[in-house]
Amino acid sequence: MLEELGKRAQQAVELAQRAGAQDAWASASRGRSVEYSWRDGALEKVQENTSRGLSISLYVDDRYSSHSTTDLRPEALERFIGEAVALTRALQPDPFRKIPDPSLFEGRPTDDLRLVDESIDGITVEQRLAWLKELDAGLHSDARVISGTSGVQDAHSMGASASSNGFFGTSESTSVWYGGEVTIQDEGDARPEGWMWAGARGTAGLISPQEIAATALSDALKRLGTQKGPSRKGLMIVDPRAAQNLVSKLLAPASGSSVQQSRSFWVDRLGKPAVSEKLVITDEPLLPGGWASRHFDGEGISAKPMDVIRGGALQNYYLSTYYARKLELAPTTGGASNRVVHPGSRDLAAILADAGDAIYVTSWLGGNSDATTGDFSLGMRGHLVHNGEIGGPIGEMNVTGNLLTLFSQLVEVGSDPWPYASLLVPTLVFDGVEFSGA
Amino acid sequence: MVTTLSRRQFLKTAAAGSAILAMPRFLAGCGPKAAMPAAAAQLAQGGFFQSAFGIDEAMIRRVLSELTARGADGGELYFQHATGSSVSLEDGIISKASSSVDLGVGLRVVIGDQVGYAYTEDLTEEAMLAAARTAAAIASGSALVAPTAFRRPPVPSYYPIEVPWSEVGIAGKLPLIERAAALAKAGDPAIDKVSVYWGDGADTVMIADIQGRIVEDYRPMTRLWVNTVARRGTEVQANGSNVAGRRGFEWYDDALLQEVASQAVDRTMRLFDARRPPAGEMPVVLAAGASGILLHEAVGHGLEADFNRKGTSIFADMMGKSVSSEHVTIVDNGVLPHERGSINVDDEGNPTQRTVLVENGVLKSYLHDSISARHYGVESTGSGRRESFRHAPLPRMRATYMENGPHTPEEVIAAVDHGIIAETFTNGQVQIGAGDFTFYIKNGWLIEGGKVTAPIKDINIIGNGPEALRKITMVANDFKLDSGGWTCGKDGQGVPVSQGLPTVLVSSMTVGGENA
Repeated sequence: MLEELGKRAQQAVELAQRAGAQDAWASASRGRSVEYSWRDGALEKVQENTSRGLSISLYVDDRYSSHSTTDLRPEALERFIGEAVALTRALQPDPFRKIPDPSLFEGRPTDDLRLVDESIDGITVEQRLAWLKELDAGLHSDARVISGTSGVQDAHSMGASASSNGFFGTSESTSVWYGGEVTIQDEGDARPEGWMWAGARGTAGLISPQEIAATALSDALKRLGTQKGPSRKGLMIVDPRAAQNLVSKLLAPASGSSVQQSRSFWVDRLGKPAVSEKLVITDEPLLPGGWASRHFDGEGISAKPMDVIRGGALQNYYLSTYYARKLELAPTTGGASNRVVHPGSRDLAAILADAGDAIYVTSWLGGNSDATTGDFSLGMRGHLVHNGEIGGPIGEMNVTGNLLTLFSQLVEVGSDPWPYASLLVPTLVFDGVEFSGA
Repeated sequence: MVTTLSRRQFLKTAAAGSAILAMPRFLAGCGPKAAMPAAAAQLAQGGFFQSAFGIDEAMIRRVLSELTARGADGGELYFQHATGSSVSLEDGIISKASSSVDLGVGLRVVIGDQVGYAYTEDLTEEAMLAAARTAAAIASGSALVAPTAFRRPPVPSYYPIEVPWSEVGIAGKLPLIERAAALAKAGDPAIDKVSVYWGDGADTVMIADIQGRIVEDYRPMTRLWVNTVARRGTEVQANGSNVAGRRGFEWYDDALLQEVASQAVDRTMRLFDARRPPAGEMPVVLAAGASGILLHEAVGHGLEADFNRKGTSIFADMMGKSVSSEHVTIVDNGVLPHERGSINVDDEGNPTQRTVLVENGVLKSYLHDSISARHYGVESTGSGRRESFRHAPLPRMRATYMENGPHTPEEVIAAVDHGIIAETFTNGQVQIGAGDFTFYIKNGWLIEGGKVTAPIKDINIIGNGPEALRKITMVANDFKLDSGGWTCGKDGQGVPVSQGLPTVLVSSMTVGGENA
């Protein structure tokens, strides 16, 4: 199959060249996925798909465009690429737009990334139903449960890319996820919810359905009797499941497009201290089994680990070849792989125990940040912490501030990253945070 | 990847290069449409999938027969051919374009509230029959007889356009994009960078259901987005504005370009003087237009019937009860001409409509798809929508808004001693069960002593749906529908929506800010 996808990508490059493109980059993909959901004792949905697609970038007379299609009938594809080349000619020339230099393709790693686990293809209907029944039983193990929905999804995807200047590469990965969501009845009209999903590359990596259901239910039960929290300034402890959101907002403006377009608080801050030295982040494309592991990026640039934040300073922008050229810098990669926040020595329980008075954030609700200034404001839910003890649930509150200021007030990084994401973040503790509530 | 936020419904501006952009209010001045030229008229009449892909009624019948071989209460084939095109300007040149074709068919079998689903991008009969067998596996009954004849009920036309987007060449778009950029650059000497994004396209869909109904719809969509970066000394601010709708090329006149460009500049320049309000609970005035985001989050999602059928919505026991002031009438409407959230038919082939959710403060109706309509024994409200052929439909909003009330905007502002006005937004979110919702204000104003005093920015508001409804104390008479490019997310599916509001006072919500 990979071979067939490779041929399809190469044929698309040839079609583009025949239509008049000097250079082209094409990727062909194919995937299979199965998804079951189960609600309150009965099967709710079964979905099974095989999907395919082709995307192509064109370089025509110093002009550039990108295209995608799922209509792969030979005559339709030829017409599509022909029209795409003609469209590109109508644009204005851009001296910064060139196909990635082949030197960037050199030194491609060959590490076994452990992204493919053949056990996925052997998952039976009976196995899926058994997991779902166990999840469902766990979710319904409390009389206050109104509804519980469980799900299982497994997927196997493959892709191949080829370019007119000698790039060829393939990729393949498998995954299986299952989990559940539960709604319970509180006093009055409120119906608190809890959820938990876990995934792995193969069935051996999964944690048990019982553990997942127990976490989802326990999270919902912890929300019973939620009160509106206070307005105050103080210590904020962020659960690993919630901490990703903050780090993601901090790093999003480190992209070449944001920086080059002056829509980034990281402009002119490369290498300059801006946040706490406790925050160390590296980009790790070769992490075995990682959710964003790869041998090469979307432009074919060979993968290598990269410092993102170290010594309190941003060390590298995420630079595609285009924005690197515009900024007169060397390209790194335009797309993040696994981003790892280097863990500290204590887990959440130990941190909470000597936190004194604080607010412990378990999840966010809405909110946003301004990439240019770093100003942010986020809705939150969590618990009051008094003398190191977790108190009652609080919600209907906002946390407001500036991302650079917040991360300069980072006082501790936990030892407990949430593993089910490509951005691996442990518990984070910040001082002097503005809370807005009652 | 798994959508772990599936219980948290969110609303956002669809990504167009930048993640955070303010949303516009609607622009007036679009006159009535001329008669449709031949090409567009033909698309609206249908026959596209037969002429382009050889999908005739006999083939549809054979696939439906396979789909219902193990029984079905409902089900359909959802054929889709979506084309999209975008062009963008950055650093003064129009140097990037893209195009896309998404073709496929989704096949669904419904048994009670159980769904079997499969899709394929390969429209050969062999591939469709295989997908039909996969979808049918959920059922275990006896075969249905597929329709022997098909009905093609008339489909209304809420968004006729003069020329199909596939026939509008790029050459005509370039001067408009350059004009929008030039207008923005000239809007203020502090403007440093301008980027413009243009998007257009159309979905051609054909829905063939097991009752023998075939419905076709041609759904155009276009959007223009202007982003500006301004510099004052060392301080940099960025913002933007966009408009979107089920419109054709003829929509873009100079007045529209001027309005989008000037809004982008105005919203950017205002950020230099804006501050954060004090933290805590305070009255919030929702400016007419995009503030309809409050309804979308606080009420709309909670009234989608799937959540109520499952008992997971905070509104599940409130039907027929008084939930708000008598001034409050909330509508979800799929039939507004040319609006982003409008649909001629829903994605199950049902006629769409104007659905009154709350009438004079009393909860009147949920938003139904065919599954929930069958569950509650009512007619579908034509709210079954899906992102694409890759997804089964769900009850979704279309254009959600509040009708005019008795007050004037001036009276509403004068009634506030210390509070804020919310004017432009980037996104919102709601938890269906707890009822907590949020929306993020990009631009707003401080009110002190009944007067507007200073601009504010980048503030999240959080409230509880039923509580916020009860706290609506004033509704003005200046209704506006926003035509920003809003996309609503639910269960991993994004659909285009619209929203609107007259000026409204909510007596108390929690405003993010700084503690004194």
